[in-house]
This record gives sequence, structure tokens and C-alpha cells, in this order.
Amino acid sequence: MLLEMKDVSVEFTGMRGSVQVLKNISLNISKGEILGIVGESGSGKSVTALSILRLLGNNAKTSNGEILFNGTDLLKIRTKEIQALRGKKIGMVFQEPMTALHPTMKIGRQLAEVIERHRAVSKKAAFRLAVQALKDVHIHDPELVAAKYPFELSGGMRQRIVIALAMAAPPDLLIADEPTTALDVTIQAEILNLIKELNNKNDTSVLIITHDMGVISQLCQRTLVMYGGEIVESGSTNGVLKNPKHPYTKALLNALPDLADPAQPLQAIPGEIMDLRHRPNGCSFAARCSIAGEYCRTHQPALVEILPQHYTACWKGEKEQND
Amino acid sequence: MIDIHQVRKTFKTGAMKIDAVKDTNLSIQQGETVGLVGESGSGKSTLGKMLSGLETPTDGMIAYKGIELWKKKKFKRLRPGEIQTVFQDPQSSLDPRMRVKDIILEPLLALNSKERKEKGKMERLIYLMKRVGLKEDHMNRYPHEFSGGQRQRIAIARALITDPQFMILDEPTSALDISVQAQVLNLLKELKREKNLTYIFISHNMSVIRYMCDRVAVMYKGKIVEIGPVQSIFQNPKHPYTKILLSSLPSLFEETKEKINFSHPPSLSSESACVFYQKCPLRQEICLKEPCYQPASENHTFSCHLQ
Repeated sequence: MLLEMKDVSVEFTGMRGSVQVLKNISLNISKGEILGIVGESGSGKSVTALSILRLLGNNAKTSNGEILFNGTDLLKIRTKEIQALRGKKIGMVFQEPMTALHPTMKIGRQLAEVIERHRAVSKKAAFRLAVQALKDVHIHDPELVAAKYPFELSGGMRQRIVIALAMAAPPDLLIADEPTTALDVTIQAEILNLIKELNNKNDTSVLIITHDMGVISQLCQRTLVMYGGEIVESGSTNGVLKNPKHPYTKALLNALPDLADPAQPLQAIPGEIMDLRHRPNGCSFAARCSIAGEYCRTHQPALVEILPQHYTACWKGEKEQND
Repeated sequence: MIDIHQVRKTFKTGAMKIDAVKDTNLSIQQGETVGLVGESGSGKSTLGKMLSGLETPTDGMIAYKGIELWKKKKFKRLRPGEIQTVFQDPQSSLDPRMRVKDIILEPLLALNSKERKEKGKMERLIYLMKRVGLKEDHMNRYPHEFSGGQRQRIAIARALITDPQFMILDEPTSALDISVQAQVLNLLKELKREKNLTYIFISHNMSVIRYMCDRVAVMYKGKIVEIGPVQSIFQNPKHPYTKILLSSLPSLFEETKEKINFSHPPSLSSESACVFYQKCPLRQEICLKEPCYQPASENHTFSCHLQ
């Protein structure tokens, strides 16, 4: 197992007390696997990604659990050691490609800098490798692009460069946080293909975070669904999308306009996304759930294996299985 | 209801001139929802802004119910509040220092005092707030106290207070989460039916367009490259750009469809080439001349040589 997160909880402390943003998250990624996390804003998907790299702010506290990467607990090692891992063993791609690049540094130099840092090569060789890295992410005229500044490039090109940066080492694990959200659909398709290709070629594991079910279905072998800082369902992508067990996953899929059947009215999920400051005692989705009963509101469900390798945290799901 | 004829909008920055919208023709019937779809920078929002008076067209004519909206670079509105807009980002389109009540009633300031009194009645305000899914006691709160979906509801209520007949919805759900997007889309659909509204729905999300619209216009680099009834466009796309757009939609259940990709820019180019020439996978020599519109089926036209 390349990465194993066990029972990780994260709290943010503010002036008005602390908020639990992640609650007992467990996940694992094996070598060469693409795992997807899907959820709405505030569900804790980005915090999960950042907690792996220990990039959370000072007000965040990872209170328990462990994150094993190749056997070492990332939560226990010193800052120096985690810094050595960032970029080298674990690459990260952020949502907004403009802010992830240095605005006044030429592309080639930015890439060469990363390569110099992670591999023992001369400056000249690093630049050559940088041009090669641009070629690997299918940039036409890599020499020309290497001599440009980020503002001279389109969003799709910039995201390719951010991916090239993340893959420069090359890492064992690539974390991509909404890598295509800021891009047009046509460009999104190209970037998704690129990620898939790099995963195939280098056997890099990928953790992809998105709110888009379509991205999940195209890319991921396994999927986790998050709501209110908890994992509510996990399983093979096929299983989760075709045979969802948690009412939240079902509702989310029903809320998407269906291209095949546009006349079908959308089934909106009533209410708003949960406010993490007021975490209920029972199931966090109970307030918006159409099948929740009294028991759901007072007792918290645990993630149980409802089908082989398919987990869900729902009292009703468990009952269905027992009946 | 709306007639757009040969409209062009040119932006100038220094020596550079960019046609954000070029030679666009579009007419919209009463009660219709017309979708505008295209990538960022394709001119879809600019076209919407020219309809609401926020951008001046460089050339061409826009008529609303037979009366020209733009005369000598001046916007002539029939009646204030007849055309209303809902913007993409409800965070920045609501004044953070105004209470919800004042935000919703503000458009009435453009009306004469008699109409203002009539439309600004407390019962009407409360009815409207309830209709869009807000509560009566939300009235005295500030925008920051609401979630994204609720803010968009406030923006919709503000647009409806003047009793518009025509609404420009500029990516109204792009900033919202999926579960909330469904609520807002359904609300917009219901309101349209109730009040017999006409919509222009601007979006880059094809499945939302499919759900909301009767007709759709696909824009690329400021030009409408294909227009027709949604069903016809989705089932039988003619223009290569529309085909690429539809093939790149990630679908939930289908196994990977055959994907069409953009082509790399050619060495040869010309000023009068087809707008899609630079990236078209099918381009030929003939495409260096701008194509005219040709019919594919009833009401469905596209602009491409190669069909």
C-alpha cells in the first residue's frame, strides 16, 4: 500500500472555538491506482489532500490517526523530512493554474528549478530535462514555451505546466485538487487524458479531488464520497455510480441534469450544505435525507461493508442488507 | 421578442482590436429559453450585456419588441425593469452593506413613484421572497449571512421585483454546488412557466443547457457557429466545434466515447478564414474563406463548408 490514512481527524481553531472539519477519515491508495474523492464545498475533500502533505495552516490541528506513506507516518516526521517528500515523492496540482505558477519567472526556469532540487543534475541538464518535461505533457514547441512567462499562456497550457511541475521528480503519488474546474470542457477532456496517460506511463498513483461526477467516472478506479468532513460511501467507481448505497450519493446523482433524458425534472436535495460548526449528534446527512428516521438523527452510523469492497455509512443501508 | 441583427462588438487595447462578438444574428420568441454556450472568451456574456445595456454594440441592431434598443450608442429602454439580469457570482453581485430587503427593492428606484409604490408593497416583497425560497425573517439580514444558493435566490428575487418579461441568466448556477444547482434550476423553470418569462441562458455546462433550453446557440470566438433546437443540436451536431464540445463531456455511465480532439494551429492562415480554422481537425483549403450559414434541418443552421 502506497498511502494509508487511518482515522485522521482535523480541527480548525478560530476565535470562536474550534470546528471539526475532518472526522475519522481512513483511506488507502495502492501503487498505480487512481482514487477519486467527490463532494461539495465544505465536505473536507481539499483538507484531506492538504493534510497528507501537512500543508494546513497553523490553526489546524490533526488530532489523531496516522498517515502512512511507504510505511512512514507523515504526521510524526520532522518538518525537514516532509519538505523533502513534497514534490519529490508526492506531487500536487492545484485548481487555479495561474496562482500556482511564479508570475515573473520564465516557464523553463521554473521547471528547471524543481528538477535541480529533486535530481542531482547540472543547470544545463536540468533545463534540457525541463524541455523534455514540457514535451511529455504534450506541449507543442516546448522550447518556445519554456521561454515564456505564465501570463502569456492559456489556462489549459498553464495547467499542463503545473502538471509537468508536479510530475518533474517524478513522484510516487500525484494529488490533484480540482485540476480541471477552472477550465473549459474541451480542455478538461485533454487534461484528464494527460493525467491518465502519465499514470499509465510512470505507474504513478493519483488522488483526484473533484465535485464533478463526470470526472470521477472517466478517471478513477475507486471513489470516496464525502459529506460534512466524513466519508459516507466508498467503493469501486462503477459500484458507487451505478449502484449507490448512501442516500446522499443517490441524491447527488439525481440532482445532475441527465443528458439522455432532459425532460426528467431534477431531484433537488432540500436544504443547504451542513454547517460544520453545528455538527448534529446523529448522521450528518439526516437533516436533508428523505429516508432518515428518528434513530438516524440521534445515532451516528459507521462505515460498514455493505457489498464486497463497497462501504457506506447509513443506518438504512445496513437494514436493507439485513432484511 | 428580441431581434439581434448583424451585431458586432470590438474591444480595443492599444493597437490591438478584438472582435468579441462578430456579425451575430439571433431572434428570440416570446416564452422561449435560448441557450448560449461556448468556451470562455467566446463572447456569450458580451452578447448578454449588450441586451441589458451594459455594453455598447460597435455595429448592428438590437430590437426588443420591434423597438431598437441602441440608438447612436445610447441605450433606450422601453420601460425600466423590463429586461433583468441574474449574474454568475452572487457574492459580488449583491451589495455587502445593504440589507436583503433593500437589495430586492432597489431596482424599483428606476420606476415612477406610482409604480414603485404598487410594486414595492410589503405583501408583494414577502410573497416574492417566499416564492424564491427565502423566509420572511431573512428580510433584514445582510448578504454575508447567506449561503451561495440563498444569495442566488436573492438575486433572482431582485430581478423579479420589477415584473420583467425578459431575463438574461448569465451562468446563474456555475458558482453553486450540484445539490443547490438543481434547486435553482428548478426554481427558474417554475418561474418561467408561472410568469411566462423569456430567458437567455448563458452557460458553459452542456447538460444544464440541455435541461433548461428550447434552442441553443453555440458560440466560438464571437461567432454563432451553430444554432438550433437543443434536441437537434445534441443528437445531430453539424459543426466540428459542437462535435468536439459534445464529445468532451464526461459522461457518467457510458464507456469512453470516441473523442475528437482539437488540431494544432496550421502554418497557413488568413484574415477571412473560418473562426474555427486554427483548431479544426477537419480543415481544408476552402476553410480559408469564411463559410456561410446553411440549414441542417428545420430551424437548425450551422456555419461550415465541410458537410
